Amino acid sequence: MILILSEHDRRIIHHSPAPVEQILLEAGINPLDVLVSRNGNLISEDTIAEAEDEILVIRIAHGG
Amino acid sequence: MCTEPAVVYQRNIHRHLCGHHFTAEIERRVADTITLRRMISPGDRLAVALSGGKDSTALLLLLSRLLPAWQNVRLIALTIDEGIAGYREATVRAAEQVACRLGIEHHCISFPDLFGDSLDVLLEGRETQACSICGILRRKAMVIGAGQAGATKLATGHNLDDEAQSVFMNVLRGDLPRLVRNSGADSSGKFIPRIKPLSLISEKDIAAYLVLRNEWKELPECPYTRYALRREVRSVLSRFEFKHPGTMLHLIESKEKIEHLCAGSVISAPLRSCRICGVPSSGDLCQVCLLLQLRER
Repeated sequence: MILILSEHDRRIIHHSPAPVEQILLEAGINPLDVLVSRNGNLISEDTIAEAEDEILVIRIAHGG
Repeated sequence: MCTEPAVVYQRNIHRHLCGHHFTAEIERRVADTITLRRMISPGDRLAVALSGGKDSTALLLLLSRLLPAWQNVRLIALTIDEGIAGYREATVRAAEQVACRLGIEHHCISFPDLFGDSLDVLLEGRETQACSICGILRRKAMVIGAGQAGATKLATGHNLDDEAQSVFMNVLRGDLPRLVRNSGADSSGKFIPRIKPLSLISEKDIAAYLVLRNEWKELPECPYTRYALRREVRSVLSRFEFKHPGTMLHLIESKEKIEHLCAGSVISAPLRSCRICGVPSSGDLCQVCLLLQLRER
């Protein structure tokens, strides 16, 4: 699967299907600090990410 | 609630929501907060502090959607431009765009106009105090801006995370007066009442709401946040919230209980008037005049 953390940070991850939350935690990301999108749609962090998925991680910038 | 794919998982109540039900719930919760806490009255001219960032944008969107429910209430957007290079230009543009798109009267005032210089210049040599100094000057700027716009109330986009962080920071500092201070409850008439309609909505939920409403914008983060205690507190609280869902809400509830217990007690010195500008102040000089005077030295 591909984890897109930013325009310049795309990571290919060899991982069996797993909850997005687990993928994020293993990448050192608190799931509460980001939104996650797959194929242009928001998904909840307990969604199972499959090997062929491209997961976009949207960082929530702080400050109102 | 339906068979549509879930976009949000609410950890503290173990519930999944689709996009439609999630956005409807956010709007309902904000409306309930406004109603239960009597935040808005008929005839109010409500200045919405609009930085252009995600929280204030969401606030303006939500209030404009809920507006028809209130009698004769007018919204105006108020943007404060501190002049932070590489950051504020983009967010002010975003603020102008959203206010224009919603057809909302927009006022913008700047630190150079009010205080003689941008925040970057005012902070030279004091960057580690950036957030404290900016906060003092921004609050003054908002009061002036709201006054100029004829506002009866000021709405800010403080969210659940912000409020929980403030509670935690005030406890860490041992600052009881600040912990129990309620900016919306002043009955002296000396301060413009402030309301925080998003105070029970998490930062993540606000971001999700904007994405689902096609209003999400990638904007830079303030460069001065790296100096702030709040940054550390945010990180700690976010970890606690992930491991122990509901932590932030419990912090807010604790604060409200302490406020209730302290009601009627004298927690801080009575207000006086600033010797230079005349605004209510706990000391001889208000924080803004004190800051500007120290700078002149």
